[in-house]
Amino acid sequence: MEQILQDIGKQFKITDIVKKRDNLNFITCEKEQTISLITYLRDIKGFSHFVLLSVVDWIEDGVFQLVYFLNNPDKKIDIGIRTMISRENATMTSAHHLWEQIATYQRELKEMYGIDFPGSPRVDESFILEGWDDIPPMRREFDTKKYSEENFFPREGRETNDPEEYMKKKLYPDEEK
Amino acid sequence: MSLKDILTPFTAWGNIVKEPITIKDPINNRPGAPRYRGFHKNDITKCIGCGSCEEICPNNAIDLLPVEGIETKDGDSGLRPRIDYGRCCWCGLCVDVCTTGSLTLSNEYKWIEEGNADAYRFTPGVDKKPWDKNELGWNKPVPNYEFYALDRVEMQELEPNKRDNSFIEIVQGFSKEQAQLEADRCVECGICVAACPAHMGIPAYIKAIRDDDLEHGLNILYDTNPLPEICGRICTHKCESVCSLGHRGEPLSIRWLKRYIADQNPSEEYKKILETENIEKNGKKVAIIGAGPSGLSAAYYLALLGYEVKIFELYPEAGGMMRYGIPEYRLPYDQIDKDIDYILSLGVEIQYNTRVGGDVSLDELKEKYDAVFAGTGLHLGRSTRIPGSDHKNVYQSIELLSKITKGEEINLTEKIVVIGGGNVAMDITRSLARLQKQKFGKVQIITTSLETEDILPADVEEVVEAREENAVINPGWGPKSVEIIDGKIKGLNVVRCLSVFDEEHRFSPKFDEDDKKFFEGDMIVESIGQGMDISYIAEDIKSSIEFGPRGRIVVDKYFQSSAKWLFVGGDIIQGPDVIHGIANGHKAALGIDKYLHH
Repeated sequence: MEQILQDIGKQFKITDIVKKRDNLNFITCEKEQTISLITYLRDIKGFSHFVLLSVVDWIEDGVFQLVYFLNNPDKKIDIGIRTMISRENATMTSAHHLWEQIATYQRELKEMYGIDFPGSPRVDESFILEGWDDIPPMRREFDTKKYSEENFFPREGRETNDPEEYMKKKLYPDEEK
Repeated sequence: MSLKDILTPFTAWGNIVKEPITIKDPINNRPGAPRYRGFHKNDITKCIGCGSCEEICPNNAIDLLPVEGIETKDGDSGLRPRIDYGRCCWCGLCVDVCTTGSLTLSNEYKWIEEGNADAYRFTPGVDKKPWDKNELGWNKPVPNYEFYALDRVEMQELEPNKRDNSFIEIVQGFSKEQAQLEADRCVECGICVAACPAHMGIPAYIKAIRDDDLEHGLNILYDTNPLPEICGRICTHKCESVCSLGHRGEPLSIRWLKRYIADQNPSEEYKKILETENIEKNGKKVAIIGAGPSGLSAAYYLALLGYEVKIFELYPEAGGMMRYGIPEYRLPYDQIDKDIDYILSLGVEIQYNTRVGGDVSLDELKEKYDAVFAGTGLHLGRSTRIPGSDHKNVYQSIELLSKITKGEEINLTEKIVVIGGGNVAMDITRSLARLQKQKFGKVQIITTSLETEDILPADVEEVVEAREENAVINPGWGPKSVEIIDGKIKGLNVVRCLSVFDEEHRFSPKFDEDDKKFFEGDMIVESIGQGMDISYIAEDIKSSIEFGPRGRIVVDKYFQSSAKWLFVGGDIIQGPDVIHGIANGHKAALGIDKYLHH
């Protein structure tokens, strides 16, 4: 693993390395180099298995963190490639040409986060949210509770209490301010 | 067709003796993964009904409802969460935010029940379910997975060696960054409000800090408490002892946050911020006896209601125990003045150096004013009455503390023994330790109490800080006699105290007379509580007042005595502490208003 990391360092601009376990590392690289790095890992370093593509919404920093998870079945090691992309008009180069199934992940990210992958097959088609008419629901600015209140009716007979008011009612009902 | 084509299908028969790799009966035996987020479990004895689960639920799936057999009390709303599984999305945020750690998710995801469709909604832990004992499922991962910091933002305090010979304030106060960081920890459950005797709007003023709207914060403070600089320093903070965060970490520093709001608002702006520049007078007059917390609080709220208020104060300055009891290193005089000056700026008048019952009679006040509020406090020190306690070098803590405030000389000796385990005992211990350090360059003071360390009534930080200042705190001993040789005190004889209260929690100390100890000292200070002096109530008035057990005046919920014109509050009714006094004074002010207008 060490050797692989060193080799990567010689050819790519790596901004961060997090060693989780002996057989698992996360490396962060720039957006422009990400697909080249993944290609390099697949073709030169034996990471022939694509595990998953995921994303973290760092809304405070205005970025999405994409994570491409690769596996080297011979060496039994995993690597996560992290890259930050802007949340504004979030776009990333498609990687479906490397593994066909990446198109499905990219389609999901388009639907759930609004991240576009131009050229990715069927990327604009609904994935699971047929008829969705709101902002992508996994973006952190999406107000799940508001959506829930507006779209799902409460079950009959539901009631609740605010702890502070309820305690006043029970413990000091007569007090006024 | 070749022979191979005919034989090949039969090779499949070879599999008949192999172990199958498929699961035979997937429906009946397919457990969730170990950390699967299935149906909820709740340890209802641990849950306090803070409602953080309801608050965070992104689907509005949780309701808080009373549960039979669970009582609403300080620190527990008596409510428990009920989950609507028509809405729950099993995100587990409710578990992650849970302040007590009572709520978890089992790894059970199947629930089949006949009949009532509403069965799909239940109160975990109350409505028994087959998965209640499942150990697997989603628990909050520990450590390092928290939605709020478990530890407080550290308060800067003067180091022991920088504070032990002076009366400079120890606690430095929060900066804006620190206050906002600390305020960020609040989950706004509001469990604290009931525990506060004044029922201050705690979550609201903490939110004001987060929003950096300290003027609004000040308004919330003054809704229920006109002495925020004082309470922000020395309040007994019952709110913090019930804070939901305290179940898994340190409770929120509510007291310091209150102080932060008061500290940050300049006194000259108070009238504008609190909109008290023009108060319409109602032409009625109220006399108040004692300018302590309850008297000042009553005065403030009466002044707001338009009353002309005059306080009669025995001492040369206002504040009562806050000034003459609590040492300056905990509560600096200029901060007392800031709170009091604002109250006076509303037109409240104080006549100092006036003893009601001496310089002016209660009868006179009754005649000249429409109502009277008495908040005269507990100013008489109680004695242990052990042999030798009548020696001239046996003092009462309360008289020494007031002497220190007044700047009067104390006949300080090199070795002192203090009897008492409450906050006042710590106050006098730490004050005398400072004076010893100033005069002799070293501290030789032993403080002993009936109560053992685990049940000491004093706040833990007081005991810790006293020790940091080189006082010896040696609890668990009962005083037997003051050792006097040739008219001089040599020390205090004590025996081991086995228990302080009986089974019905009445004061009934038991001793092991064989386990003796001697504390060396040439001066003894008794600090075992204070008594009231209500001799200002003349006999003819007394006869119209109802008294309860132990000579306590009986009052109604507005602190009105059975002599309708006389309201009584503060330490002589409830407490003793500042915040009860403030709450009493506030209620009495409302009561006086009702009495004079209806």
